[in-house]
Amino acid sequence: MATRTIVEGVRVERRKRLSETYIGEWLMTTDHKKIGIMYILTGIFFFLAGGTEALLIRTQLAVPNGQVLDPKTYNEIFTMHGVTMIFLFVMPTLSGFGNYVVPLMIGARDMAFPRLNAFGYWVVLFAGLFLNSSFIFNAAPNAGWFNYAPLNELTAGHAIQATPGLNEDFWILGILLLGVSSIAASINFVVTILKLRAPGMTINRMPLFTWMTLVTAFLLLFALPSLTAASVMVLLDRHIGTHFYQATFGGDPLLWQHLFWSFGHPEVYILILPAFGIISEVLPVFARKPIFGYTFIAWSGVAIGFLSFTVWAHHMFAVGLPPIAQAFFATSTTLIAIPTAVKIFNWIATIYGGKISLKTPMLFALGFIAMFLIGGLNGAALAVVPFDYQVTDSYFVISHLHYVLFGGTAFGIFAGMFYWFPKITGKLLNERLGQVQFWLMLIGVNLAFFPMHILGLLGMPRRIYTYPGNLGWNELNLLSTIGAFTIGVAIMIFLWNFVITMRSEQAAAEDPWDAFTLEWDTSSPPKPYNFLTIPTVRSRRPFYDKKNPEIADWKTATH
Amino acid sequence: MPEEQNQNKEPEKIAEAGNVVKRGGKPRGRPVAQEQAISPQMSYWPFVLAFALAILLLGIITHPVILGIGVVLATVSIIGWGLERR
Repeated sequence: MATRTIVEGVRVERRKRLSETYIGEWLMTTDHKKIGIMYILTGIFFFLAGGTEALLIRTQLAVPNGQVLDPKTYNEIFTMHGVTMIFLFVMPTLSGFGNYVVPLMIGARDMAFPRLNAFGYWVVLFAGLFLNSSFIFNAAPNAGWFNYAPLNELTAGHAIQATPGLNEDFWILGILLLGVSSIAASINFVVTILKLRAPGMTINRMPLFTWMTLVTAFLLLFALPSLTAASVMVLLDRHIGTHFYQATFGGDPLLWQHLFWSFGHPEVYILILPAFGIISEVLPVFARKPIFGYTFIAWSGVAIGFLSFTVWAHHMFAVGLPPIAQAFFATSTTLIAIPTAVKIFNWIATIYGGKISLKTPMLFALGFIAMFLIGGLNGAALAVVPFDYQVTDSYFVISHLHYVLFGGTAFGIFAGMFYWFPKITGKLLNERLGQVQFWLMLIGVNLAFFPMHILGLLGMPRRIYTYPGNLGWNELNLLSTIGAFTIGVAIMIFLWNFVITMRSEQAAAEDPWDAFTLEWDTSSPPKPYNFLTIPTVRSRRPFYDKKNPEIADWKTATH
Repeated sequence: MPEEQNQNKEPEKIAEAGNVVKRGGKPRGRPVAQEQAISPQMSYWPFVLAFALAILLLGIITHPVILGIGVVLATVSIIGWGLERR
């Protein structure tokens, strides 16, 4: 009895270190999987913020002479909708998938620079909070997501006020901060993919999602400097008194457009290429076939990357470029459709003759192809200079970019979300709710964005605050708003699905899709070290080979 | 067959079962000695530095004092990151 008392008396409990607490574990993590999860959750959070802004815009425009928002707030909302969706939803979410999946896909134990990886994530989070804190200061960015000069200046001339408040400073500094994160993440992806691949995983055996992540990382590294330079120059104009963009003092507002779109058009491919990668992973698994034309898909991604730096001025046809420049940029824009079409043909050939399983990831992948095709075709129409003159800065352009970035990228993100959810969480999202979400999103996207083609042709300008009721736009705008709310319902269903799945006790199988690539060749979710032994790769489908040694790809294929 | 199912086996056996044997017959994969040795160390400096940069930028557009706090925080976190044991 006495002994027991002494033992109890001297028992020492060490205080937990910060890294041992639940919060500390996430704050201090350098594990690529945890960082990937944080990126994805942050992306979803900002998706909800950007989506709410979209619904506010559509509510304002639902009927003529709308008064839901005041004009000043409306400018801030449509600007922040674009900024949020592009920089705080799509980029972080795709980066999250890259962080989580790429090291697993290539048989690595982590990213090359784990601390830099963590830094990249935290910068995104703080940049997002920084940008959105502008609402607290009543000075959210309000000059559109591309922030044209001279509207982004304090003054446009000697006595013409442009944007004297902090609005544009928030945009400039927020974007600079996000650029820091993108550079950190890109360097990490490039080094990881080039240096940490498992033995036997040659460049030509890399999964296509890894390929597209590599191309995207290079695009960011080469595209961001022009945006950074442009942003610093406008900051100097605003606060130091330089005149880079002020025509009155010998500057040139068009310089902003050139510098911005030198970044901005590669940015479009930065937003879509990883989604191409996701689709190229999902389609073969759910068609039970190897990807058709692997080499073409991979190298067409590289071709798109190169060409994306030659097309920027197609955003500027209406500014009065010389005819030779118009001809050049129209041609290069048309050229870029070729490698894009190569991908679409290869995806269709992949599913042709396959044993297609129409699970939710596959539905989103198929939806992606259809919607992206529409976005690509109306994009090709915009490459035709006389047509572009007619519809530039109209709702036709809004329709095009939403078919590409929502019907395309967002569908790709949801394909990846449903596909890798069991890998990340060990649980399977509810299939029925997933299918309902898909069909609602497909209907919602077409209802919201297709009428915008016609609105654009009828002359409705983008960024317009409201409109009179006698222009023939009323019904189309109402339809568009109904479509936006349908998408909103679909997203609510996704959130519900997410919550009930996470609360459920039911675990998914380790390899629920009978997948082909290495990320599935470990537990779900994986251990911190990913692989007990680094696997050796002998073909493009290493996990398929392992499961089917008698018909392994390496026995027949030459790659 | 996910690798997890093999995690209690000897590395050599895993190498055989996991089809990671070199032509010469020797296992090529690197067996895991212990989890700690191969996992990157945790660090709070990336978080602190990112926070410092956000404060610094907020300071640029709001008040010099906030800017000063941001500069100090960023300097401390860069030094701390650099001196941290790996």
